[in-house]
Amino acid sequence: MQIIKKYGEQIKKNVDANPKKALNMIKLGLDYENIRTKVFPDKGLPRAYQKLNHMAVNSTLKALKCPEKSVWTNIFTPVEIIQCFGLNPISLECLSSFISGFQCEDYFIDYAENSGIAPTLCSYHKNFIGAVDSGVLPKPVFSVTTSMVCDGNINTFRYLTEKHQIAEYMLDIPHEYSIEAESYVVEQLKEMIVMLEEKFQMKLDMNELKETLKRENESKAYYKQFLKEQIDRYYPNTLTMNLFMLFATHLNIGTKEALDFFQLLAKDIKKYPKSNGTSLFWVHLFPYYQETLKSYFNCNEDYQIKACDLNLDYMEELDIEHPLETLAKKMILNIYNGSFERKVELVSQLVKEYKSDALIHFCHWGCKQSSGGVMLLKEEMKKLGVPMLILDGDGMDRRNSHDGQIKTRLEAFLEMIETGKDDIDDRLCV
Amino acid sequence: MIGYVCKYTPIEIFTALGVETSRIEPDVTNFDQADTLMHPNMCSYTKAVLEDSISKDYEGIVLTTCCDSIRRLFDILKEQYPDKFIYLLDVPRKVNDFSISIYVKRILEMVEAYEDYSGKRFDKEELFKLFDKQLKERKLEENQELKNVERTEEERQENKINIGLMGARCSKGILELLKKSNVNIVFNLTCTGLNRDYVLVHDNILFSYASNLLNQFPCMRMQKATNRENYLEGLQDEINGIIYHTVKFCDNYSYEYTHLKEVIKKPILKIETDYTKQCAGQIRTRVEAFIESLEVTANLNKKRSIRKNTGDDRMYVLGIDSGSTSTNAVILNEKKEIVAFHVVRTGAKSGESAERILEEVLAKANMKREDIDTIISTGYGRVSIPFADQNVTEISCHGKGANYLNPKIRTILDIGGQDSKVIKLNDKGEVIDFVMNDKCAAGTGRFLEMMARTLEIDISELGPISLDWKEDIDISSMCSVFAESEVISLIALNKEKSDIAHGIHKAIATKSYSLLKRVGLEGEYMMTGGVAKNPGVVKAVEEKIQDKLFISKEPEIVGAIGAALFGLE
Repeated sequence: MQIIKKYGEQIKKNVDANPKKALNMIKLGLDYENIRTKVFPDKGLPRAYQKLNHMAVNSTLKALKCPEKSVWTNIFTPVEIIQCFGLNPISLECLSSFISGFQCEDYFIDYAENSGIAPTLCSYHKNFIGAVDSGVLPKPVFSVTTSMVCDGNINTFRYLTEKHQIAEYMLDIPHEYSIEAESYVVEQLKEMIVMLEEKFQMKLDMNELKETLKRENESKAYYKQFLKEQIDRYYPNTLTMNLFMLFATHLNIGTKEALDFFQLLAKDIKKYPKSNGTSLFWVHLFPYYQETLKSYFNCNEDYQIKACDLNLDYMEELDIEHPLETLAKKMILNIYNGSFERKVELVSQLVKEYKSDALIHFCHWGCKQSSGGVMLLKEEMKKLGVPMLILDGDGMDRRNSHDGQIKTRLEAFLEMIETGKDDIDDRLCV
Repeated sequence: MIGYVCKYTPIEIFTALGVETSRIEPDVTNFDQADTLMHPNMCSYTKAVLEDSISKDYEGIVLTTCCDSIRRLFDILKEQYPDKFIYLLDVPRKVNDFSISIYVKRILEMVEAYEDYSGKRFDKEELFKLFDKQLKERKLEENQELKNVERTEEERQENKINIGLMGARCSKGILELLKKSNVNIVFNLTCTGLNRDYVLVHDNILFSYASNLLNQFPCMRMQKATNRENYLEGLQDEINGIIYHTVKFCDNYSYEYTHLKEVIKKPILKIETDYTKQCAGQIRTRVEAFIESLEVTANLNKKRSIRKNTGDDRMYVLGIDSGSTSTNAVILNEKKEIVAFHVVRTGAKSGESAERILEEVLAKANMKREDIDTIISTGYGRVSIPFADQNVTEISCHGKGANYLNPKIRTILDIGGQDSKVIKLNDKGEVIDFVMNDKCAAGTGRFLEMMARTLEIDISELGPISLDWKEDIDISSMCSVFAESEVISLIALNKEKSDIAHGIHKAIATKSYSLLKRVGLEGEYMMTGGVAKNPGVVKAVEEKIQDKLFISKEPEIVGAIGAALFGLE
């Protein structure tokens, strides 16, 4: 870990004078990881997660190495269409996470804040802005964002694409589903496709899109199988793998590679032993670097994070015969879109379905849409008798997560689950 | 009464229904309920609306999907008040015929829901009549305005400072503050400053109404928000500067501020409020200082009472800087020589410490109250000093004081008890730019006092011992509350006090460095305020800026010297 910190410091030192060198250092680091995860995968991890690890590093590396083929997105962007143009979608959240992996997020976040960006903005966004404005992250060939879930999306993408002259498309996603809302999104998807077709001088192959959606359906079916099998089994994972799942469930969903991963996941779990460790449901992002959380949740049979709402934000089967309509529906009916009531309902359903013993909600710094509804979710969990812990911190900026606080809250919560599963002291749930 | 928040809300529908509407303009003292029902890190305006909705009896509240915080506010209000008309209207972000027709449909759904709720019936003819009436009234007003043109001309001759107001929604409090500052607001483009004078087409009333609503000057949530900048182009020459308002924990406007700062040639002051009554003090200082600096650049120096300075006429002026931690006084004579100075701790009442310091500094100078010709006050408590003849902000005073002590100074870092600021001077010693830290103790004298207390050492020892550090420790939290617990953890780990103190000073230096960078690094540098007496902080800042800091013998009295100099002028 000390090596990474030192390496990160070197990267930061280079940004001012030579941002290209800083980028090269990041690429070199990822190159190393890319080879390591392929040739010498983490022995402690199950095979499927070894594959996931490689997929995550490789997608990020591709985005950095071939900016002329990469498209900036957020995690809700319909990447299926972008893939059909032979382009690599790379989301702001994932890129930021990797920069934080090199422990240089503080530099880029300060960079953005010093130029005037609000310190209370989500750290993923601040870091992304800092990394682009400082000249480290290369310009992509295109950018697609959605208006849903997070206010930052429209503003961050608009700010950066205007400033750095990047072609872009913004999808305005209505708050609730209706036939008109669906056509409103479909019309926009068509407009976006025309833009892409003109820019890349190729027609979108609808059959390929259908194939992509078919693979997506298959992937999700395997994932559901896995989650069901996992209810009473121990399949070791880490906070980082939980976070990397976004590469499979979102950024690369629909690809052959992602399908292979989910297939392996569903197959591999059957080899793992039965276990009765505490099963936790996680809501929102993972502060993968956080020492206390790592010590409790990385490869620990006693406390297993078995599912996260972010990876299960839309699990309905896609209608392959109507690709654009089904993608529109996927965005409008995402668990994170619309009223919080819907999210509470769906999370409750998932908690029951996967027999979770407890739920942890992570309030990420700057994320208003999730933090603002946390008390509503808590009320519902109370009704269900599922203990819920609210943790405040930051998914990537180490300076905003305080270990002492997290440790006390988490340990008290785990003690509480252990000692009196039937008699829950409500005061400890906050 | 229906409460609403957003300019895209079709409030005239309710007026046509005979229902009164009121834009929610909260003015709260705390967020006790909102912090419990939501989360402390939500947008302050949203939390204030929640507090307001709890304390007032609205029949209903109509919100829009304008931002994440408001969407969650809707969820909470709906849960809290199942019997009230709590409605969320989804406003499209794009404006085209399709989105307008969708908006019409959503408005009609809202009307239907309200009809079900109230038993009232909506008639679109009423809506048309309403705007028609407005139009006629407006024409009448315009005619009257034409007659009044001369008056505005007079106003222009008064050489008032012209400012434009932009950014997130502006509360009445800020507008009142500006009015009192005697400036002319050329435009107010925040969402509370826009007119709703639409002309509806009779054949398609609702469509033209929805179209008018969506085509208002776009707010940052809209796709075409970049058009906002175009509006400024024609108006730049009309204004001396822009006041850019943002709301704490509303991040959307900081993007535009960041951009404008780069492209607009006029000075911009960013102010951040949190919709509580308490933030007025700091905002006042900033706004006044900004206006003062605009006056300097516009060469609008007001006539100051210049006393004739004949050889025999002796003259004494007193400058008092009433800060949050210390109150400082300086007496200058007509030759700009320091006759006496004094520093006392500010008690709970700034007025009382001012009385005390007046007495004590006069005693030191061996003078009487009558010997002083002019008294100028500055600092946070400047308005609470009844015997002062005039008051000037500490920003301008620090600028003047620094220039007096060392004319080569271009950048001043002032770290006081309660805030820190960076002031940039031109070669004449005039303030050309400045930034202040936010409403937060991070990186201030108060922060150091807290840390010294935690380390159980006297504040005066903190600096010297930190110079003997051996292990390089980082204090990562900038928030004083978090930093305190971090220091406690370090003590628990048995770390040396000198190493921890060094870490604390580095944290302050980092915070100061980012403030310095915001106005641009330009030497020579000076550090003022009580914290400049701490050699640990001075060294840490010098390492960051890789340059020397000029520290005067009495860094606390620079503001008071400046105030006295204003008195001499």
